[in-house]
Amino acid sequence: MPEFRAWVLPGDGASGDGASGPGSGPGSASAHRRLSLEPAEGDLLIPDLDRSAAAALLTRLEEARAPLREMRTHDLIAALGTSGRRLLDPNDPLRREAEEWLPREAGLSAPMARQLLDRMARDWTVPALTHLVQAEFGDPRVLEGFVERDGNGGDPHQDRVRAEGDPLAFHVGAGNVAGVGATSLLRSLLVRSPLLLKPGRGDVILPVLVARALAEADPRVGSAVAVAYWPGGSRPPLEALALERARRVVVYGGTETVRELRRRLPASTPLVAYHHRISAGAVGRDRLSGEQETRPLARQAAEAVSAYDQRGCVSPHVIWVEEGGAVTPRTWAGLLAEAMEHVATELPPGPIPEEVGARVHQLRGAAELQAAAGAGHEVLAPDHAGWTVLYEPGFRFEAGCTGRLVRVQAVERLEAIPAKLAEHGPLLQSMALEVRPGRREALAGAFSARGVSRITTFRQQPWPPPWWLHDGRGPLRALVRWSTLESSDYRI
Amino acid sequence: MSSSWTGELAGEGRGLRDRLMAVMDRGVQSPLSAAEFNELAMAVFRFQVRAVPVYGAFVRNRGARPETMERWEEIPPVPARAFRELPLVAGAPDTVEAVFRTSGTTGGEGGRGVHRVRDLDLYRASLLPNARAHLHPDGGPLEVVALLPAPEDRPESSLVHMAGVLVQEWGGSRGAHPFLADAGWRLDVERLAGTLDRLAAGSTPVLVLGTAFAFVHLADRARSQELEWRLPPGSRAMETGGVKGRSREVSREELYREIHRVLGVPPERIVNEYGMTELLSQFYEPVLSGRTSASPAERHLEGPPWVRTRILDPDRLAPVASGTPGLLQHVDLANLYSVSAILTEDVGRRRGEGFTVHGRTPGAEPRGCSLTMEELLMAREGEPDHA
Repeated sequence: MPEFRAWVLPGDGASGDGASGPGSGPGSASAHRRLSLEPAEGDLLIPDLDRSAAAALLTRLEEARAPLREMRTHDLIAALGTSGRRLLDPNDPLRREAEEWLPREAGLSAPMARQLLDRMARDWTVPALTHLVQAEFGDPRVLEGFVERDGNGGDPHQDRVRAEGDPLAFHVGAGNVAGVGATSLLRSLLVRSPLLLKPGRGDVILPVLVARALAEADPRVGSAVAVAYWPGGSRPPLEALALERARRVVVYGGTETVRELRRRLPASTPLVAYHHRISAGAVGRDRLSGEQETRPLARQAAEAVSAYDQRGCVSPHVIWVEEGGAVTPRTWAGLLAEAMEHVATELPPGPIPEEVGARVHQLRGAAELQAAAGAGHEVLAPDHAGWTVLYEPGFRFEAGCTGRLVRVQAVERLEAIPAKLAEHGPLLQSMALEVRPGRREALAGAFSARGVSRITTFRQQPWPPPWWLHDGRGPLRALVRWSTLESSDYRI
Repeated sequence: MSSSWTGELAGEGRGLRDRLMAVMDRGVQSPLSAAEFNELAMAVFRFQVRAVPVYGAFVRNRGARPETMERWEEIPPVPARAFRELPLVAGAPDTVEAVFRTSGTTGGEGGRGVHRVRDLDLYRASLLPNARAHLHPDGGPLEVVALLPAPEDRPESSLVHMAGVLVQEWGGSRGAHPFLADAGWRLDVERLAGTLDRLAAGSTPVLVLGTAFAFVHLADRARSQELEWRLPPGSRAMETGGVKGRSREVSREELYREIHRVLGVPPERIVNEYGMTELLSQFYEPVLSGRTSASPAERHLEGPPWVRTRILDPDRLAPVASGTPGLLQHVDLANLYSVSAILTEDVGRRRGEGFTVHGRTPGAEPRGCSLTMEELLMAREGEPDHA
């Protein structure tokens, strides 16, 4: 049975050579357990660190901070960017390993896994990371030392500031969107915080490969990152110790996970929580002038729904389509269904997990009954559970499920939607707003006021840029504390 | 039987009801042959497509032809969730004898499942022989207590209604109040302690009914107050509903150890019941009659002869190979006056004469950061899924 080692630990003798056996160096996981990737072929090897090995690992990460903190931003980005470059290079063994394991572990089809790899790894290259630091801090030197606050260089009366990472961070992924963990890992290293990452199940492969690439690229960086997977709820000693010793904890997960972590953390440890969220779309009548014109839009929407089988917080679950255009909402739902089928041919869905199939058939059957009752609903779907379009004659804010199921709801005026979101607004993360430019800004403002943190297009929706304000926060600024070096002479 | 529904269809319904009652009266040890079940199921189905017009339209939209269909396996099932959205009942929805509602989650505007019950006598006729076979097979004197609210406090809970029937039928603990939770499903610890003290001092075997969650709660309270009872020999417990998503998740083995510790009822006398508001019949582990393993991990659930269960692959809803997990789909003829064929969201697999239901395994992580409304909004605390 092929196996994948679900950890990278600094100081682990086997680190970086791609070998599957557990390492033997200090802090290596000499004991491990197996987790079957059924129905896919292969096993995950899960590290088993006892308390003293776990403590030694965290100490080593803390010790890696000083050399990491000394690195120039330029050099740091050069090292981090090798991970993206290698994962994009079809001839690199790292890329080949990703292509082999990502579909199995994440439950994605091979073409979908390749698309995800292409889109995600692009964000982990030198140009993207450089842009990210620039967008977050303006002057990247603020990560290297004290810098004048307003760029008024040379004024001795000006306070100077520095963005400071943490001695140790603990990142916890509890979702299963591949790429989330690796992105989180790179963000932490960019602000010079050594970290332990526990990825979510379904997101194990990429952070392990990225961490291996970093260890090979630059030992100063490689020493500052540990990745180890364990099943949520199993509570190994490493988890308890990391919660105790980390100076910042970042979590991606559901309300229960977040609440549980908050409860277990020392009061002084900041928690950066990215909650579960869903996304939506809205199409104005001004974008529905004819079938030919609107077909590409339906295609973009289908790609947004289908990306990573709709598991992302950026994945749309409902699309509000305005009445009064040349193409009716019902017709548009049909165009979307056609496009869903095309996308499913090019980027097939992964094996349907039982709970997803269960939910899909419940929602389809309930909609069929509504249709039978003459409520105007329609189910547009193939005989398998791979994708589903539910056409509904009016507004109803309800999440579907993962598994490429999207509701198309006919609405009279898009301007009436934001007020109807009520308390659910903050659950909505990205809004693909497809209207003519004249309406866009006012509508965006109304959605923003209701809690939506990103207004975008269907084309961009599933692939936010690295510098996006993730759930309304600067992705790197959420990970630093500011230090001020005050001038000796206070003056207004 | 409500007299407010009349006419030819109502008459046809009464005829089927009488046939079903006769089957139920024979008890669960008298199996229906495949042919008998099929004949009865098809008659019920043909009645339902006319008596529940929305179901009839649903069936026709699927392209199914009830007149020419021959096998019960072909009956199009409605999803359990449909009971949240539409009144699925024969005759006028406001003339039914009882309305059972699921509780718990805030499912967006879809809300809770609602089962309108036209005929409580038929419900009673279905539940009693089944409960007798699995909870009281030896007959004899029995005391029944429930870690549940009283029927008058929770008239819309099918589980509470069922407990009420069992208490009535087998004798509640003479004179004392046998329902040991308040209307908010919270255990009334004082009354509970008094009742259990008294029952433990006697010699009549006790049946304790409750949700798994209530038993966990009882065990926690008993531990903190250093309480323990030794119920008389022959006592047994029925637990139902999952413990998933609660503040404290426990494995089944742990739950049964706790029940044993607190009440003195050993694991081999603890019966798991699986029921749904949408189904008027229940499933039990035949552990008291020795037809399934005493070990909780190896048991299976059985329905009565008037229920058949299929296990379908979650992608295309085709029957799975034996032993492969899939979605449970039931045909429950006790649902005469609503819809018998129901597709659930539960995953299970065939085992022995019946099936097992997979709970979410402890520590399993949900698939995706993009989740359902229920998970986004979080379940309301306190009430079991089944009630």
